[in-house]
Amino acid sequence: MSSTNHVLLSPAELAYLHASLSLTPPIRPDGRAPTQFRPLVAETGILPGTNGSARICFADGTEAIVGVKAEVERTVVGPEGEGVIVEGGEGEVEEGGGEGEAGWVEMTVEIPGVRDDDSGTAFLAAMLSEGLLADEGFVRRLWINRRFHWKLYLDIILISPPLSYPLPLLSLTTHLALLSTRLPRLKSEGDEDPFFDDDWAAAPYLFPRPNGKSTTFVSQTRPPITLLVMAVGNNIIFDPSKEELAVADVALAVSVTAGSSSSQAPSKHVPMDTSTEGRNLRLLSIRTIDPPSRLTPPGVANAANSAYGANAGQKTTHEAQATAEGEAVEGVWRAPRGGAKRMVLGALVQKVLERGGVVDEVLDALEGVDLG
Amino acid sequence: MDRRRINGPAGATQPPVFDDVVSQGAKTVSGRSRMPDASRKMYLKTGVTPSASGSAYLEMETSAKPGASGLKLSCSVHGPRALPRSAPFSPHIVLSTHIKYAPFATKQRRGYLRDPSERDLGIHLEAALRGAIIADRWPKSGVDIIISIVEGDQDRETSKSQGEEAWDMMNALAGCITVAAAALADAGIDCVDTVAGGVAALVQDGGADSTPTIVVDPIPSDHAKILAACCIAYLPTRDEVTNLWFRGDLPASDMDLYTHLVEKGILASRNANCVLTNCLMETIE
Repeated sequence: MSSTNHVLLSPAELAYLHASLSLTPPIRPDGRAPTQFRPLVAETGILPGTNGSARICFADGTEAIVGVKAEVERTVVGPEGEGVIVEGGEGEVEEGGGEGEAGWVEMTVEIPGVRDDDSGTAFLAAMLSEGLLADEGFVRRLWINRRFHWKLYLDIILISPPLSYPLPLLSLTTHLALLSTRLPRLKSEGDEDPFFDDDWAAAPYLFPRPNGKSTTFVSQTRPPITLLVMAVGNNIIFDPSKEELAVADVALAVSVTAGSSSSQAPSKHVPMDTSTEGRNLRLLSIRTIDPPSRLTPPGVANAANSAYGANAGQKTTHEAQATAEGEAVEGVWRAPRGGAKRMVLGALVQKVLERGGVVDEVLDALEGVDLG
Repeated sequence: MDRRRINGPAGATQPPVFDDVVSQGAKTVSGRSRMPDASRKMYLKTGVTPSASGSAYLEMETSAKPGASGLKLSCSVHGPRALPRSAPFSPHIVLSTHIKYAPFATKQRRGYLRDPSERDLGIHLEAALRGAIIADRWPKSGVDIIISIVEGDQDRETSKSQGEEAWDMMNALAGCITVAAAALADAGIDCVDTVAGGVAALVQDGGADSTPTIVVDPIPSDHAKILAACCIAYLPTRDEVTNLWFRGDLPASDMDLYTHLVEKGILASRNANCVLTNCLMETIE
């Protein structure tokens, strides 16, 4: 699934859409505000055979299911690592002191109607796992002891046809599935073969949450979310639909997470509840999405169109090309050429990371989902 | 799984580690020998594959061993050529990019089929080039850009890679963008500008408490820890970025750090562009 799926819009429709999105404030086809998300329905814990699962359905009919499965796997120890074990002896294993590896998380994305070796699907999977792995603390949670670790399989399935670029949907569903993921409680100690509590109710969450009663400060790290944001003219538009993406000048996928960084301990002990000003955002990854607007058919200006009295016949080809390549005529669609100004890119990222902005809004909404 | 060839055993084996080096123990980080703003030396030559309509070869110096070469890339461009009759109408040139590591390019052997990370690189390259090519001059035609990474840039003396693959991928992508731009120019495909790739990274050399610095064109094995890196494809005369790939962990409150990182990435791609322009000028003469 690439972002460049053909959109069946005529050049005139594209020009109209581009003009209305460039107004201040922009007028979106579905009447949303520029920073407004599509309404969605979310639920978690829908798959009993998994460690965590979630389903999200967007208002436009796209729907995704994510299942998280964990398996115990033996850690492959290199020649140096073995030496450390011999030296280290027993009993001084600090909690979560191991180092994680990127290979401990495996993510697959399946989109109906798309071949499973399609590059776009690989791109989506790489983008989603990149955000997850950029947070070093995450893989460290999968560490059991020096000999074993959890291997986490995240299987993302889009169960509706891809009506819009599915990145925000898949990312939010993955976020919820990870939040609801629980791993069995470890009963064995040290470097023994792991042995787990068979009481599922005692299984701790992969992302420990602050429970309302206890006042103990739990680290508020959350799985990342990836937002799709695009620019048209001077306007920044979040969560674009397929038609809006078809006229984008530039589109970015930005992964952010909330929570204290693993390296820097929170210096001031502010009790961070869900109020928006307390959230401490971190930027994890940015990728440029190739906007499908580059593949749209160009319009023909009346001045160059022989049906409207442009001189047919002599010297046309050269002149027609000159007009096609020359100045943009208002109301005539031309596919954007070249890249994005760095100011525009900077503004896009700035807008995403804004305190109390869209990310906070989305995270607040996702916190409202009952994790069962 | 490749069904057409006889595959090796499925179980992973440890890659061989040769013990002939003085450093018998854990290899310490050698540190960076270049200035923070200096890129590595690069060799670029166009027209190396006669049968392709355009081709280029790029070689980059490695700092793991002075004088030895690291990354080696070969790119060939086939086209523009007519799309097959069965293909739907396209008002623009259809760009297809293909990046493949040679099976022997990295410490861990790569298969014959492209794995997800190579496909991912291909999409990045496509995004970077599509902004540069003037696509509407060739309706109903296609162009294939094929890059093979003959040798990856890895320090073979360290036995275990410390999660460096992600940063290696960025370096490889920057090289791929530059070499593909040279091959496109060699094939005579119209572009708005020559695009070149560059990488900048935020590194922490002295322990966890030291202040991080920004370096251009980083080699992962030179630094104790890479906090964040970005790869940028940049069009210098238009001052535009066609592809931006950032990865790392930065606090959102510190936008300046991010902006500086992007600025340095642009600087790195300007450096690469100098090599590219000189190479193309030489070809003309």
